[in-house]
Amino acid sequence: MSFLAPLFLYIGIGVAAGALALHFIVTRQPASGVLPTVRFVPDSTVRVTTVARPEDLLLLLLRVLVALLLGAAFARPILVPRRRPVARIVVADVSPAVASIEEVRDSTRALLAPGDALIIADSTARVVRSGAEAAARRLERTSRAGRLSPALIAARRTAAEIRAGADSIELAIVSGFRAGEIDGATEAIRALWPGRIRLVTVAAPGDSLAPPAGLAVRGTPDDGVALAAALTGLPQSDSAVRVVRGVATRDDSLWAAGGRRLLVRWPAGGAPPGWLARAQPDTAGAVIAGEAALVTPLERRWALPPSAHPGRISARWVDGAPAAADYGVGSGCIRDVAVPVPLKGDLVLRPSFGRLVRALAAPCGTEGVGPGLGQAEMRALAGSGPLAARDAIAPPDQVATPLVPWLLGAALALALVELLVRRGSAPVWSEVGGEFPAREAAA
Amino acid sequence: MSIATYAPVLDAVRGIGWPALRRVRSAVPGPHLSVVRGSTAEFVEYRPYRQGDDPRTIDWKLVGRTDRVYVRVSQERAVLPTMLLLDATASLAFPVSTNAKWELARRVAIGLAAVARHRGDPVGLALAHPGGARTIAPRTRRTVLDEMMHALDLAPAGDAPLAPVATDAMRRSARVAIVSDFLGDADALRAAAATFAAAGGELYVVHIVDAGELDPDPRRLLLTDPEQPGLRRPMSPPARVTYLRQFTAWRERLARDWRALGAVYVMLVTGAEPLRRSIRRITNPEVAARPAG
Repeated sequence: MSFLAPLFLYIGIGVAAGALALHFIVTRQPASGVLPTVRFVPDSTVRVTTVARPEDLLLLLLRVLVALLLGAAFARPILVPRRRPVARIVVADVSPAVASIEEVRDSTRALLAPGDALIIADSTARVVRSGAEAAARRLERTSRAGRLSPALIAARRTAAEIRAGADSIELAIVSGFRAGEIDGATEAIRALWPGRIRLVTVAAPGDSLAPPAGLAVRGTPDDGVALAAALTGLPQSDSAVRVVRGVATRDDSLWAAGGRRLLVRWPAGGAPPGWLARAQPDTAGAVIAGEAALVTPLERRWALPPSAHPGRISARWVDGAPAAADYGVGSGCIRDVAVPVPLKGDLVLRPSFGRLVRALAAPCGTEGVGPGLGQAEMRALAGSGPLAARDAIAPPDQVATPLVPWLLGAALALALVELLVRRGSAPVWSEVGGEFPAREAAA
Repeated sequence: MSIATYAPVLDAVRGIGWPALRRVRSAVPGPHLSVVRGSTAEFVEYRPYRQGDDPRTIDWKLVGRTDRVYVRVSQERAVLPTMLLLDATASLAFPVSTNAKWELARRVAIGLAAVARHRGDPVGLALAHPGGARTIAPRTRRTVLDEMMHALDLAPAGDAPLAPVATDAMRRSARVAIVSDFLGDADALRAAAATFAAAGGELYVVHIVDAGELDPDPRRLLLTDPEQPGLRRPMSPPARVTYLRQFTAWRERLARDWRALGAVYVMLVTGAEPLRRSIRRITNPEVAARPAG
C-alpha cells in the first residue's frame, strides 16, 4: 500500500500523538455547581492525585483511531499489487480484418496471463482488466471496421493504470494487420508507445481491391458489369462470387448458402428483390462502395424500404442513401445492388466503374479492410528495442482510491462512538476524608 | 412581569377561599367571623342589659313579655389584614438556569394575595432583598396586585435577613404568610414569629424546595453556597448519603418547630404539583396537614 498524499498521514499521526499526550497531561477537574443547601453536605477532604497513566483508555483509543483513519483517508491510500517482471496488454482485433475469430481467441488466450489486460478492438476499443481470459474465450467478430489507433490509445491509457504492478509492459496486437486499419494518426500514436510491440498476425479475409478468387457474371453478352469485370482482369470463375444480372433463382441462393460465397443480385432492369420504386426518381452524383467511388450522374429509381433489415450496407449514394445491401444466408452472403448500369456511353469502360464492380464483388464484411501491411509498415508498427519500461509510462492523472470512502466511514462511526462513550463516562472518585479540601480540588 | 404574565396564576386560584383560623379582632366589616358581638342582623343570643349597652339593641317585645330587659346580640364579621413576606435572597435563585424556586415563590405570593383580596381582605407585601426591604402596606384597592407584581419583578441575589422584615410585617397585619426556603436567619425569624403567634396572629409558612435540592445532580462534584461563596464542599457518593439524611432531618425539624408555634407549614417542591393545589394546601389547613404529594 502506498499513499498519494502522505503529508495527511503524517498530520494524522501527529494529531493522534497529540491526543495521546493530552491524555497524559490533562488532569480531571471536578465539575462544580451551586447548591443552596450545601451546608448539609458534610465537610470532607477530596484527595487530589495525579495519575501517571492516562484515564479513559477507551476514549483514548477511539480518538487515536479517528485521527489515524482521517489522516489515512485524506492521504488517499492505493493498493499496489506485487510487481511482476512483465505485464502484458493484449489487443484482440475482432473487426472484419480477421478471417477467423477462433484464431484470434486462441492467440489471445495464449498470450494472456493472470493480471494482464485485454483490449477488444474494432473501430472502438474496450478494455477488460478483470476476467480478461474469460473475455478472450467469448470474443465475437463484429461488423465494424478495424482501426488500430483507438486500440493503441487505449493500450497507452491501460499501461498507465497497470504500470505500478510491473517492471516492463509488453503490448501485443492480435490482428490481420490490413491496410484499412491504419489511418493518418496511427503512426503518431504508435510513436507514443515507449517500446516495441509484439505483432501476432492471424489470417485475414480476401482483399477487396485484389481480384476475388473467382467471379461469374450471368447476363447478356454485352452486359456492362461483365465487361467491366473482364476489363479489370477479374478471373471468370463461379467458385466464389456470382453476379446475377437477371432474376436470381432458388439454386443461386442455395449456392451462396453452401459455402463462403457471395451472390450479387444486380438486375440489369428492374429493382433488386425487396427494393421499392421511388415515387420520384432522381439523380445522384456518385456512389461509394468501400474504397471505390464512382462519380457520375446516375438515376436512382429504387430505394431500400424502411422495413428492410439488411446485415450491412455495402454501398451508399453520395447523400448516404443505401445503394447496396448485404444479407447473410447460411455460410455465404447475398448482396442486392440498386445501381443502374447505363447502356449508353463509355461509363463501364472507365477504371472507376471497374473498381466499383470489384468492390461490390468483394466478400461480405471485407470492404475497407484493404491489403495486408507491407514488411516495412509492420516493422514500423512493431518498433524495436526493449519492452516499455515502467518509468517510461506516465502515471494516470486520476488514480482510483477505493479505500477512501471506507476509511472516512469508519472514522465517522468511531467519532460517534467516541461521543457516546464520552457522554456516558461517569465521574471518578477517590477517597474522601479530612477537613478542607474542596478548595484544593477546585484550584 | 405584568398582569398578563400572572394571568395563569390568577386563573388558577379563582374560587379558592382563605378563611381565618380563628375569630378575628378587627372591627372593620369583612368576611371573617369577628370576636366582637354587635347588632347586625346575624342574631346569636339575648343577653341581659348592662349599663353602657346601646339602648337600640334592647328587644322591647321581649321586655313586654318578660318584664326583664334583654339586648339582642348578633355576630360581627371583619376583615383580616394579610401580609405576604417573601424571601428574595440568592438561595431562591436556583437552579441557576431556570430560577425555579423564585418563580414558584412569587407565583405563590401573587396567588395568595389574589385569594385574600378577592375575599375583601387587605393584602400587603414585604420583600427581603439585599437591595433594601420593600414593603407594600395591606390594602384592599384593586391596584394592590399590580403593585405587588411590579415589586416582584426582580432577580433574587445576595443575602438579607428576613427577621426584621417579618417583624415589621407582623406589626402591620394579623395574618402573615412567609414564603421562603428558610436557609437564612431561620432562628431569628422563628423567634419573631413566636411573639406574633402568641399575640394571636395567624402564621403561614410556605417552604420552597427545589427538586434539585432533594436529589442533587450527581455530576456536580464541587458545590458552592450561593449566599456564602466561601462555603464549598465536595459531593462524593458517601457525602451525598449524609447530605440526604441531614437535609431530610432539617426539613422535618423545621416543620415541627413551625407547627409548634401554631403555624400552618406547607412545603412546596418546584414542579411537583399544579399551583392551584399548592394554594389550596396553604389556605386549607386540613389539606395542608396531610403530607405533600
